Amino acid sequence: MLRSKKTIASLLALTLLGTTILAGCSRPSKETDTGGNSGQDGSPAPITLRMTVWGAPDELAAYKVAIKRFEDKFSHITVDLQHIAADYDTKLTTMVAGNDVPDIAMMESGTIAYPLAEEGKFLNLQEFLDNDPQINVDSLVPNLLYSLEPGHVIGIAPGPESFGLFYNEDMFKDAGVEPPPAKASEAWTWDEFVEAAKLMTIDSQGRNANDPAFDPKNIKQFGINFPTWWGGYSNFIYSNGGDFVSADGKTFALNQPEAVEVFQNIADLMNVHHVAPSPVQSKNIPGTNVALQTKKVAMVIDGQWASTSLAQSNFNYNVGVLPVMKEPMTTIVAGMFSMFKSTKYPQESWELIKYLIDPESSIDMITAGTWMPSYKSWYTENDLLARWTENLASRPSGYKDAIVEVLLNSSHQTPTGYVKNFSKIMDVVSPALDKVWLGQQTAQEALDGVAAKAQELVQGRRDIQQ
Amino acid sequence: MRKGLFYGLLFTSPAILGFLLFTLGPMIASLVLSLSDYNVFKEGTAFIGFDNYVRLFSGEDDLFYQSLGATFYFVALRVPAVILISFAVALLLNMNVKGRALFRTIIYLPSIVPAVASAMIWMWLLNPDLGLINTVLEWLHLPTSNWLYAESSVIPSVVLTTLWGIGGTVIIFLAGLSGIPKQYYEAIDVDGGGWYSKLRHITIPMVTPTLFFNTIMTIIGSFQVFNEAYILTDGGPNNKSLFYVFYLWRTGFRDTEMGYASALAWVLFVIILFFTFIVFKSSKSWVYYEGGGRS
Amino acid sequence: MKTSRLTLAAGYAALILVSVMFITPFIWLIRSSLMNLSQIFTMPPEWIPNPVQWGNFKKALTILPFDTYFMNTFIIVIGVLVGTIVTSTVAAFGFSRIQWKGRDIVFAILMSSMMLPAAVTLIPSFLGWQMLGFYDTYYPLIAPAYFGGGIFNIFLLRQFYLTIPRDFDEAAVVDGAGYFGIYFKIILPLSRSAVIVVALFTFLGTWNDFMGPLIYLKSDHLFTLALGLQMFQGTYTAQWDLLMAASAAVVLPCVVVFLVGQRYFLEGITLTGLKG
Repeated sequence: MLRSKKTIASLLALTLLGTTILAGCSRPSKETDTGGNSGQDGSPAPITLRMTVWGAPDELAAYKVAIKRFEDKFSHITVDLQHIAADYDTKLTTMVAGNDVPDIAMMESGTIAYPLAEEGKFLNLQEFLDNDPQINVDSLVPNLLYSLEPGHVIGIAPGPESFGLFYNEDMFKDAGVEPPPAKASEAWTWDEFVEAAKLMTIDSQGRNANDPAFDPKNIKQFGINFPTWWGGYSNFIYSNGGDFVSADGKTFALNQPEAVEVFQNIADLMNVHHVAPSPVQSKNIPGTNVALQTKKVAMVIDGQWASTSLAQSNFNYNVGVLPVMKEPMTTIVAGMFSMFKSTKYPQESWELIKYLIDPESSIDMITAGTWMPSYKSWYTENDLLARWTENLASRPSGYKDAIVEVLLNSSHQTPTGYVKNFSKIMDVVSPALDKVWLGQQTAQEALDGVAAKAQELVQGRRDIQQ
Repeated sequence: MRKGLFYGLLFTSPAILGFLLFTLGPMIASLVLSLSDYNVFKEGTAFIGFDNYVRLFSGEDDLFYQSLGATFYFVALRVPAVILISFAVALLLNMNVKGRALFRTIIYLPSIVPAVASAMIWMWLLNPDLGLINTVLEWLHLPTSNWLYAESSVIPSVVLTTLWGIGGTVIIFLAGLSGIPKQYYEAIDVDGGGWYSKLRHITIPMVTPTLFFNTIMTIIGSFQVFNEAYILTDGGPNNKSLFYVFYLWRTGFRDTEMGYASALAWVLFVIILFFTFIVFKSSKSWVYYEGGGRS
Repeated sequence: MKTSRLTLAAGYAALILVSVMFITPFIWLIRSSLMNLSQIFTMPPEWIPNPVQWGNFKKALTILPFDTYFMNTFIIVIGVLVGTIVTSTVAAFGFSRIQWKGRDIVFAILMSSMMLPAAVTLIPSFLGWQMLGFYDTYYPLIAPAYFGGGIFNIFLLRQFYLTIPRDFDEAAVVDGAGYFGIYFKIILPLSRSAVIVVALFTFLGTWNDFMGPLIYLKSDHLFTLALGLQMFQGTYTAQWDLLMAASAAVVLPCVVVFLVGQRYFLEGITLTGLKG
């Protein structure tokens, strides 16, 4: 009896094991076709497009507006919007493992978008861009496209996000200090920026950081809150003519003088000038609006999305242009829409992507401050520009000069979009930078220390032909 | 005894069947995948023998050693802290005091507040510049700390945050304490013994079966610490809180090297198995079952 | 008498101190759920909402179909609870009160399933359920409860069963009871506190489970409260006021269940009645 039980048990185990392994390794190249493409009478047969997104209810509402407009125009198409609120990549990975992928997915350039693209899971959107009379690359603001290599577009962002220097106007007024300029032509140099930050850093006795008696152990108010994640410092590396990897994509470049100077400058804000809180948290939890409103800091460098929460707080805030190292610059970061190769309806999916990136669909998110429009015309034509930059709590007086103009004229793509193997390289770099922020090593020492290791991980650039 | 075998299997059959149906398959699958270069996104998977394990132990992957070290440190700090503090709190809650229903519920509350909500509190409490804890320490003229943001204090700080989640352990101790017959204590009263001899001679021996359970589960849980790195620290600063399962998850899901992640998982499996085995073996000499059953 | 009063006072003091520390996150949650965005993050924190934003609850609970999510969660929790209580108590009995060859080996093998990080069994499990045609149903979330209800629970119950004196079984056998009789008449009643603990943990664990529903469900109308809670986190910012209100609404039933449930293991079990 025992024997037979054992046999049954091992059989059960084997079947389950067998089935899971089979499912893991075998991948039917085409799913069985369930819906016909065209009806008998010439009118298109009803089809359903599946799309996965993340986002808060207000972002979801914006997608639904776009989808509604889309479904009204194409009455035979239904869009099945699947909202994955958290652990998006984990969920999408299991869906890929189970061959249950959507037609369109919102993707993040820093995580699994490129790993998927490298395995050929996405369609090349360049072909659609080339053949579409209504839209072309020139009608979009710069750096919205994510490419695997030149000419191979894997995703289009529904809008850009850039960086600015947010500040509390009243604090500057009360201190009698000139606030950050908005126009790029008048932007602070790094030294001017440090000087202003010193004047705005106050210890518990009311002395500022220029006072010889200034007590850096008891700081009541900091001049600047500086983000120490790659998005934050990338602005200044690009402004200084530096990069994450060399122009030919062959060499690790964060230990080059242009980048090292920036890292050291940031660390000095914390450890030498004592004008920035040291080591700031790597994840930007609540942050900017609180820090400024409560006068814990006078200035914060943050993404323009901070406008939403700032607009909801009751105090006079404004935004200035980032200080420049050599030239004005901002990094563009944004999620993207990608189309899975397995889609049966590429043309219809493309139409949907076009609706999703149309600023008209997401006007609520844009006026709220969270998003920015994707079409260049919304930045250059006065009536369109006015719709999302004037008389809105989320768009203070400096916004047009400090954010809109800079984004249009001097922006740089996010490093996640062109540095191959980016997250692995940063796994090596970020721990070294922690030591720099903590003042345990100079930027040069720390980055030279990991340069050899990082170099092994450098695999080239996606924005040049290799 | 033949009858014992029949009934034994009969009573345990749902559990055994459940294991065979839902657990064994995925476990073996991951063991097999640990011998492969499985990448969820890639077409085709090649078997590469023990290459993943060689890569682990050859010293090539320093994050493996780093994360193992961080995890051992965490386990060494957390297991005694959780056991001692939960037992002490359980003793307090077992006192015959007014409103103990309320006290018991309060102790368990942090365990049911969703992590998204409570992570924010930690970020604030432990923020070096704006946080409550440093403000209080300054007020008391005690030295402050950078807590989660310094290499030397990040793991103790994470242990501290997990102590708010001891509600479950406390409740299990309480259930154990409630099973101690009152007349045993009365016997000590008759002998003129105080609270210490009650604790020493009645409470502790009688609660060893639950102590044993809590120790095993705290060990298994602590080795698999993940959420704290995922939500609070992101493994930093300088990888000092790069916990093993967090590293494993990052390797498997973000870097899509699921084969290698499976090898990492099976190494941890063996480590946890080893420690659990030791505690099980040792239990014969310190766990007291009134039923005389063997562990 | 004097000393015991002193101990009691010290005990109260310690209890109150511990309680203050442990209730802080909950108070934080409740007060945040009644505040507007800017007040939530004021430094130093304010503890009294002013003005009280009852609207947060209304908005949070209407912006998503929380009534559907509540019903779904309820169905899953009840399904899991019944299965777990029945099969885990039975299995624990087989692992503690019956002597049989290979028992401890089988138990050890079951224990081992807790030692492998779930991250690497997630995809194989998902593929298994998908192949059986149960993707986007509640089967993967409920069915395992009817097959032992998790080794954690079995282990916990086993520990309690082992403390029950063997004489009771023997006495029952003399009275003509078989294993089922012992299970029903002796073990279950005597391990009531442990069963209540298992029920509480199962309820709360299932109520708050996020990963299971995330992986196995895809249709909105099947979603659970724990999934719904996550939806207030946006790409760049989170709607903290709504997130906090929704969290509070989801947590409150748990608090009530716990307050009621813990009463049942509050009184110690007196063995005298049985022995005498």
